[in-house]
Amino acid sequence: MKEPVSSISLEPEPMRQSKVIGFVGRNWALLFLISILILFSFLGKNFFGLKNFTIIVLGVTSLLLLASGETFVIISGGIDLSIGFIMGFVCVSSAIIMRDLYAAGYAQAISILAGSCIGLFLGLIPGFINGFLIAKLRVPPFIATLGMWSVANGMAWRISEGFPIAFLPPQVRELGMAYLGYFSPKKGFSFLYRPVLTERSDILSLVKIVPLPVLLITIILVIFAFILSRTKFGQHTYSIGGSVDAATRAGINVSRHIIKIYVISSFFASCAGVLLVFLLDMGVHTQYTSSYELFAIAAVVIGGASLMGGEGSIWGTVIGVLLIGTLNNGLMMMGLPIFYRFIAVGCVLIVAVLIDQFFPELVHGES
Amino acid sequence: MKKGIILLLSLCLLMAFAVSVSAKNLRFAFMPGIADPFYFTMEKGAKAKAKELGVELIVGEYPKAWGPEYQVPILKALAARGDIDLLFTAPTSTEALIPVLKEIHDSGIPVITVDTYLGDGDYSKPSKYSFPLSYIGTDNFLGGQTVAGALAVMLGGKGKVFLENTNPDTSSVMNRELGFRAGLKIFPDMKLVGVEYCLDVQETAVAQVSAALQKHPDLAAVFGVNVFSAQGTYQAVARAGLKGAVKIATWDATQTLIQGLKKGELDLILAQMPAEMGALCVEWGSKHLKEGAKIPRKVIPGFFIFTKDNVNDPKAQQYIYK
Repeated sequence: MKEPVSSISLEPEPMRQSKVIGFVGRNWALLFLISILILFSFLGKNFFGLKNFTIIVLGVTSLLLLASGETFVIISGGIDLSIGFIMGFVCVSSAIIMRDLYAAGYAQAISILAGSCIGLFLGLIPGFINGFLIAKLRVPPFIATLGMWSVANGMAWRISEGFPIAFLPPQVRELGMAYLGYFSPKKGFSFLYRPVLTERSDILSLVKIVPLPVLLITIILVIFAFILSRTKFGQHTYSIGGSVDAATRAGINVSRHIIKIYVISSFFASCAGVLLVFLLDMGVHTQYTSSYELFAIAAVVIGGASLMGGEGSIWGTVIGVLLIGTLNNGLMMMGLPIFYRFIAVGCVLIVAVLIDQFFPELVHGES
Repeated sequence: MKKGIILLLSLCLLMAFAVSVSAKNLRFAFMPGIADPFYFTMEKGAKAKAKELGVELIVGEYPKAWGPEYQVPILKALAARGDIDLLFTAPTSTEALIPVLKEIHDSGIPVITVDTYLGDGDYSKPSKYSFPLSYIGTDNFLGGQTVAGALAVMLGGKGKVFLENTNPDTSSVMNRELGFRAGLKIFPDMKLVGVEYCLDVQETAVAQVSAALQKHPDLAAVFGVNVFSAQGTYQAVARAGLKGAVKIATWDATQTLIQGLKKGELDLILAQMPAEMGALCVEWGSKHLKEGAKIPRKVIPGFFIFTKDNVNDPKAQQYIYK
């Protein structure tokens, strides 16, 4: 485990007080999230409400997936820089397959299913290569995945030729925009099917409950949170991040485990890529300027993971992503220009690392 | 050893001579701004014209992202070839590209800026950036105004509008914004309620326009200044279920957007003429070098406005970016 950086010894304090501080230290990101939610609710027009919260969550779906994959990698003591472009590569590959099959006369369902499955599979390959380079050939994770970052970008670019991939089967959009349920004051509750409304006031008063993509992500996240926190696989991930030597001595097949971790990370990126096809109704090659991987790493660190490895959780990462998303959305609703939002996210990230550095015993518990 | 070097040098000399003798045709270089459909179309237009005039066209590697840090290294490598008669390029910064292009100009390669420009784009007055032969490109300010006017007509002169922009440091899109703002001022009941910058990331544009629709439920129209912001705008409007109720004006006639217009998902597309711009660069450059013609310091190819009424018109098809 980590050692406190400063040598300041804490004065013995009354139990209750240190418990409170410990709670705040461990959950500062959650508490910060709650406080900005309250703050923005008072300051921003139309901020508080199901509709806007849905916008926030939908806005960070890719980031949620990418950051969750990155959580596994960071806990194991590595880093994966390639995920943003793997997402872009899978996004355009899936979209091209869907478009071409549909254009060739296949049924929508078959085109969509084939595109999604092949896309998901293609996305596992770079993850396997990353893992192999890192575990077997001892390439540092930063370099191996940086190489893959460039390779995935080049391939995505090559196959999309820089154009967005459009003209997909119409059901792609229907699925991407579907919600689990709808409630209209006029037409009552309906399941899966959006009621047909014509008046603008009716459209605006339509309550849409849980977008399907968000439901899907929640299921994936719950499964992987379970794997990480409750299974042997998860325990081994933490032990490798804690100390590779100790893990090897304990009989863990470290190199095979590391390959699996990078495949998981890549799998999450592929999911994000396929999902993006549905959300945008087209295949888009992610741009350099979007820096998805960096924001994913930021979210993981804000969520309490340590870049030294051995610390972190999916739950923490989800909080980290929501914090970034809420901060962006809230400041936008207040009318603050985009420049300040970058600054705000940066400051929160630095604060997260500072808290981790100076109060590790509070954040990670006594060790 | 010495003999070897002499042999090598004389070989080089011979080859240089051979190249200079064989290079009867003009050789132009095109350095695009970023890898996107707009510049691809420009390249196609330039290539077609080059073939027609017997000019050899060398195209620099497409920068992966917008900005001098990506463009300058490729540009320098291109100029270092040393066998180019003229360079036309879209500078990715109004300031940072001045010294780089000046150096190329001073080395004897005339420069035309296309689509974007140096300084304030006025090369007719002497200044540190007035060395390019010409600026060939859209008047973005005028385009912004045109969009504002067309939207006002569409909305009956009143309503709240929103602007989805891309990069706040790029002359072309900022001038669209300024033009749009100026155009709206003519209509007292049209109100610009917000401006966002998506940095060319479509997903960001979706989130930003979604938030704007949430903040202003009575929004009447959105202007997305380029491909990515416009496509993101449409996704956000469709997601809110306001397709048709919120008018969407966009810039750049990509096939995707044209298809959207045909389906009634978009309402107005202002098409630039990238193929035309590329062709004009080659044509004017060739006239200048072969016949010594004087190029106007500013050449503006104009616009074409697509609406659902003219989108199927056979004459309009040539303005779609392919």
